[in-house]
Amino acid sequence: MPLIGQLALALALVLASYSIIANVVGARASIPSLTVSARHALWAMCAMVTVAVGALVSSLLHSDFSLEYVASYTSFSLPTIYKFTALWGGQQGSLLFWTWLLTIFTSLVAFQNRRRNPEMTPYALAVLAGIAIFFLGMLNFVTRPFDLLAVIPADGQDLNPLLQNYWMAIHPPSLYTGYVSASVPFAFGAAALMVGRFDDSWIRSTRRWAIFSWFFLTLGNLFGARWAYEVLGWGGYWAWDPVENAAFMPWLVMTAYLHSVMIQERKDMLKVWNLVLIGMAFGLTLFGTFITRSGVISSVHSFTQSGLGPYFLTFLILVVVLYSGLLLSRVRQLRTPAEFESYLSREAAFLFNNLVLVGIAFAVFWGTLFPVLSEAVRGVKITVGPPFFDKVNGPLALALIFLMGVGPLIAWRRSSFDSLAKTFASPAIFGVTTGVCAFVAGLREWYVLTALSLAAFVLGTIVVEFRRGVSARRHMVSESVPTAIVNLIAKNNRRYGGYIIHIGVVLAFIGIVASAFFKTEVKKSVKEGDTFQVGSYELEYLGIHTTETPHVETSRARIEVRRNGKPIAMMEPAKLFFKRLQQPATAVAIRSTPASDLYVVLAGIDDQSGLATFQVFLTPLVFWLWAGGVIMAFGTVIVMWPNVRERAVIAAAVRTSLPLEDDAQVVPGGD
Amino acid sequence: MRRSRKLGTRTAALMIVACACALALPIVLAAAPIVTMQQVSEGLTCQCGCGLTVANCNHPNCEFSVPARDQIDHMLGRGMSEPQVIAFFRSKYGEKILSAPTTQGFNLCAWIMPFAAVLAGGVLVAFTVGRWRSNSPAPTPVDALESGADGNASNFDPELRRRLERDLHDRI
Repeated sequence: MPLIGQLALALALVLASYSIIANVVGARASIPSLTVSARHALWAMCAMVTVAVGALVSSLLHSDFSLEYVASYTSFSLPTIYKFTALWGGQQGSLLFWTWLLTIFTSLVAFQNRRRNPEMTPYALAVLAGIAIFFLGMLNFVTRPFDLLAVIPADGQDLNPLLQNYWMAIHPPSLYTGYVSASVPFAFGAAALMVGRFDDSWIRSTRRWAIFSWFFLTLGNLFGARWAYEVLGWGGYWAWDPVENAAFMPWLVMTAYLHSVMIQERKDMLKVWNLVLIGMAFGLTLFGTFITRSGVISSVHSFTQSGLGPYFLTFLILVVVLYSGLLLSRVRQLRTPAEFESYLSREAAFLFNNLVLVGIAFAVFWGTLFPVLSEAVRGVKITVGPPFFDKVNGPLALALIFLMGVGPLIAWRRSSFDSLAKTFASPAIFGVTTGVCAFVAGLREWYVLTALSLAAFVLGTIVVEFRRGVSARRHMVSESVPTAIVNLIAKNNRRYGGYIIHIGVVLAFIGIVASAFFKTEVKKSVKEGDTFQVGSYELEYLGIHTTETPHVETSRARIEVRRNGKPIAMMEPAKLFFKRLQQPATAVAIRSTPASDLYVVLAGIDDQSGLATFQVFLTPLVFWLWAGGVIMAFGTVIVMWPNVRERAVIAAAVRTSLPLEDDAQVVPGGD
Repeated sequence: MRRSRKLGTRTAALMIVACACALALPIVLAAAPIVTMQQVSEGLTCQCGCGLTVANCNHPNCEFSVPARDQIDHMLGRGMSEPQVIAFFRSKYGEKILSAPTTQGFNLCAWIMPFAAVLAGGVLVAFTVGRWRSNSPAPTPVDALESGADGNASNFDPELRRRLERDLHDRI
């Protein structure tokens, strides 16, 4: 297996190199057979990497400890699911997994575009193959997943206990999918610059990919936060760790890009800016990988830290220099006479939305790198932690939420103050009333009051927009309200899917603000039968029982939770001891409701005194962070869903065997 | 008729207040004074390698954060202020223990840069938009209808209006 895997990776590298040459020469010399051959080479490259992944997975599942990777990240007693997830649990495996995703996406792009975008596709595929060459080069020459050990150990070293969690089974693949799929719009943007296509065809051709990337970046961040919440046992979910920041920054820039491209599609403006944004998004995915693997910035998450930093940094610099050069060489042709009528317009709102999103991304980037800068300038290593990021990003987040309410309701081109007053009156009243109610009820934190008011304002604008659409439908086609809502979303899926995403963002924002400001913590050492109070909950410690498997020893406490004297839940926080690694870990117990989460950690057990120590957090509204995330994902699926008109256009184009119009290639939908 | 409209407005107003209360209530109910020890320990980074603050260190028996929290509690109990406690830890462990840069000297750059960048970006956007506006042609009546600005639709070409209504119907 190891030999097959390594051979497959070497062949994949050869095929990727060939496909670049064949694609570029084929496109420049107009030799279609050569570009077809290049496409086939890319499919073969994907097949080869799939063989390599299969070989490594097989070795992991069969505990083939002759492989250094398998011996380093698994053990005989490791549950099968984690033997499989060890594929992305270590350095070489995660790079191989990344490369696999890249080759799959490249193959899909080659397939999707086999009869369209004949000008751009060979160059876009060449760019994707170029990225694949870097990763395949690493896997062949620098960090090889199929390296063998001179002496085969009796057992492996096991997987880091923190990674032995179901969220870790889905968090890295989601994030990697988001990272890697950002390469597709980037490749088409670069291809458009190479061939001199200065319209928005590259955006339309890759819109679904961009949304797909954003969807998985959202899920990846959300799953990562949930993992931190459940596994790290500190009652929080986001610590502004460099690796978390590295995942957050591309999300912010992709969000800006998805809004900004609407202006280009609508008004043929911001061409340079959109190319800059997609370049930044791709560059930040590389930067994130550089941070995770270089060890330049210390991080609690750097599970795959190694000496790969210089390679990634070199590749990152190369990409930035080449792409910037390409962009600068085309700036003159990209300039178009811009039509912009008023600051009171949707275009202006989107521009400011872009400013704030990129501003937050810059603040995160700056805060993440500042310790390195400080050390270089002053020779003093400092920490830039949560208080910095909270204080800097807090006001910017408020501005973003405000713009989220304004943007969708304001008209394209220009609005008047009168029409704005009419449109925003109800949402504004709702927002202010919410703030006043909270103030009267005793809330005094200005940030929370503002956040609540703005959240209510945004929700109000979305309700107004839905009501307006439903009224129009009912007026024109006489439908019931539920039918009108469903049809409204189905026929304008991009627009109303976007509103659903906004609802999710607002709910998540409420969850974040409430949990940041009002989390309470109680730490108690109690004996069996003792009770203690946390908020309105009464907790009784009923005892502890221990279980053992060949892999892990578990001491599980039982706590009865009562409210107003009535038992409402049995919670079982535990302490785990991973035998192979001789490492302890905690398994928290969480009782989640829309109002608050009761989060119990078994902090310690004293066998002599019989005392068990519990750390209990009561976090209001954190449920809405996760619910908001699910709603965002749901809204994104709606946005990506092909609508009836689109299918009809595509079907008609296929029937007549004509090249698709730009509009038909992707999601024309609403808006 | 007028009475029922008034009733409708009242109902809408009541509904707005009810919704606003529903949104604000859970937070208000959950609101509790933040523990001062928590506040102070948020300002310090745990030195055990967890990468979190002393307040949030995820090691229940951490050799640094657990005694540090006790010490902070003790110091606050003795009447020391938050800056004094922070200064004590800083003198003992150096600047790296602070969870955020200070606001002095070079560290000030950390705080200023993000806002300066956003401000500069804002000025650039405003300037660019201003330039674009001055280059734009004067709006036509059709533009006014399209943009949703105030305009009288009845002034438009009937054919244009028919096309608009047909397109709108198809879209809906």
